[in-house]
Amino acid sequence: MSDFLRDYLTVGIFGLTGVALVGLLLGLGSLLRPTRPQPQKYINYESGVDPVGTGWGQSNVRYYIFALLFVMFDVEAVFIFPFATRVDAYGWFGLIEMGIFIVVLALGLLYAWKKKVLRWV
Amino acid sequence: MDDLLLNQFLLLGAVLFCIGVYGVLARRNAVLVLMSIELILNAVNINLIAFGAFWGSITGSVFALFVIAIAAAEVGVGLAIVLLIYRNRRSVDLDDVAEMKG
Amino acid sequence: MFAFLLQSVASTFDRPAIDLHALAPEFVLTGALVVVLLVDLFTPKGSRGIVPSVAGIGILAAMVPVLTLALDGADRSMFGGAYVVDNFSLVLQAMFLLAAYVVVLLSTNYVAEGDYAEGEYYFLLLCALLGMLVMASSRDLITMFVALELLSIPAYMLAGWRKRDRRGNEAGVKYYLMGVFASAVMLYGMSLLYGISGSTLFSDIALAVARGNGLGDTTPLITLGVVFVLIGFAFKVSAVPFHTWAPDTYEGAPTPVTAFLAVSSKAAGFVALLQLILIAFIGRDDVVGPLMWVLAALTMTVGNLIALRQTNIVRMLAYSGVAQAGFMLAPLAVVGSNSDGARSAVVTYLLIYAAMNLGAFAVVLIVARKTRSAEIASWGGLFEYAPGLTVLMTVFLFSLAGIPPLGGWLAKFVVFRALLSPDLTAGGVILAVVVGVNSVIALYYYANVARQMWMNPVPDGDRTPVRIPFSLAAAVTLSVVLTVAFGVSDLATHLGDLATFLPA
Repeated sequence: MSDFLRDYLTVGIFGLTGVALVGLLLGLGSLLRPTRPQPQKYINYESGVDPVGTGWGQSNVRYYIFALLFVMFDVEAVFIFPFATRVDAYGWFGLIEMGIFIVVLALGLLYAWKKKVLRWV
Repeated sequence: MDDLLLNQFLLLGAVLFCIGVYGVLARRNAVLVLMSIELILNAVNINLIAFGAFWGSITGSVFALFVIAIAAAEVGVGLAIVLLIYRNRRSVDLDDVAEMKG
Repeated sequence: MFAFLLQSVASTFDRPAIDLHALAPEFVLTGALVVVLLVDLFTPKGSRGIVPSVAGIGILAAMVPVLTLALDGADRSMFGGAYVVDNFSLVLQAMFLLAAYVVVLLSTNYVAEGDYAEGEYYFLLLCALLGMLVMASSRDLITMFVALELLSIPAYMLAGWRKRDRRGNEAGVKYYLMGVFASAVMLYGMSLLYGISGSTLFSDIALAVARGNGLGDTTPLITLGVVFVLIGFAFKVSAVPFHTWAPDTYEGAPTPVTAFLAVSSKAAGFVALLQLILIAFIGRDDVVGPLMWVLAALTMTVGNLIALRQTNIVRMLAYSGVAQAGFMLAPLAVVGSNSDGARSAVVTYLLIYAAMNLGAFAVVLIVARKTRSAEIASWGGLFEYAPGLTVLMTVFLFSLAGIPPLGGWLAKFVVFRALLSPDLTAGGVILAVVVGVNSVIALYYYANVARQMWMNPVPDGDRTPVRIPFSLAAAVTLSVVLTVAFGVSDLATHLGDLATFLPA
């Protein structure tokens, strides 16, 4: 057996021990404790009060547009970082290319601004 | 990067891909379907970067960058469409979105 | 400060040669879509009509460099072969531009009268068109993926353009989920292809796909990658069993968008399939051929059988479009024995299909302006109050059915020719029989609409003539001229034979 697989054997043994331990303790518990099923015991726990509504919480939809703008510009930065590491090698050619890229992005921002998306109502 | 290490990344990618496909097929909530699709795209990214390291070329990482950027745009559009559905129907259950048939 | 920074370090970066003439169509179109966005932002509300004109002029302006490149005739290759301008890309780019111009003509009245966001509509239309132009030139997985998403993402938004309409929402979400899932599966296939070849260029992938990469047996991996990528594009061209989104999306989307999806978007899918199958996967026709055979046979048969029982004309055209996609897939099944013939047949079919299908949708739009309905029953007695339109619609329908001497007949003919030459194979002959049987089935539902128009009485007795706006009249005229011209001349087959790839 290679070293590589032996490492994984350790992980496997750890995993199995974990499962066995949990099984042992839960099994012991169910043997020792009294069982008296009541409907209240099957309600979801919500800080001690009765749960209200469905499991779906909702936040204000206005956050969506900000989140979207953030994600878009955040992700575009992914193209600028690799460029920044080699800006010296790319020369003016690279600067102009990146300038075009950023101008196109700025157009998107201009659109959002003119459509009054950036204002918090 | 040796073959054995590459295999593990590919295996992780394959598992993520399968979970994603299962999620798309089995889930009825539109938001969860979107999340499952993200899982598939992450499987793709893992594959691309692992292969890129294996071949010692930068192309895989560049491809992964494009996948990340375009996935963000896709999800933006997808959430907007789901939002429209919620506004008109008060539900994002995909089984309800079935007015047209045949 | 930057200049100092730049001079101080020795440069090791090879600046790629950028051929501005070769990229001019894309640049002109990009300029046009920026202008569309700015015009929409900085003109006062209510000044309609400017944006569609700008969009139309932009598309025609992008046509100019395509024509100069065609006159120049030289094949150009850039970025290490990732982006090329060859006969194939020029013919298809010209088709995409012309089809998009007709779609702008179809949209002008619809968008203006329906109180839809006008600026965004044309902006997104031009974005999708830009993606199609890039698609026709891409010979690299990354370029092709970016082009595919550039044309798909605006299309998802356009499909759900009727925001407050529940059917519009449904059209958007179905198209979006199916499309995104398909492109995710396709990407997984692309990652495997990159893995076996170590490159994203089609020419390198072709070598690895044909011979393996010398690192053990990679055949199963190649097969999986090829199949996943092809399935991703099968969604795009609505091939059975990946067609389920098409009818619902076509019915719920605005009709001009439906025309755009049915013609341009589908054509873009075929352009990608042709490039992949004929350049990158040419060494694995043992996988591609049977897959395409099954897809083609299923697509045309299922599409036709469901089209038979449709009562809504847009849905009927949707299923007929599915069936037509089957006819276009058929030549790809014999790619192993007749790759040149397959390429030529698919390109010819695409050109003719674009002309006749856009024409049919234009007439549907005109008639719906009066009847406010897309039910086939509402077309009864059209001949009594709009004889000219009835004749035109009959031309388009019979062309779709493949009746000589209209364009659709030639399209069917080139498919048969590709399937049965250079020598008869069992697969080719059986598929040709399937195509023949399906052509007969299709005739029934096309003729049904014609019967409705010519024979039946007017359902509500309203015989006031139909008013045809100028832009729609122009769109119909352009379509009918091309449909007939493609039928009586060898223009389409000539362009199909001309559209060769740059040798790798």
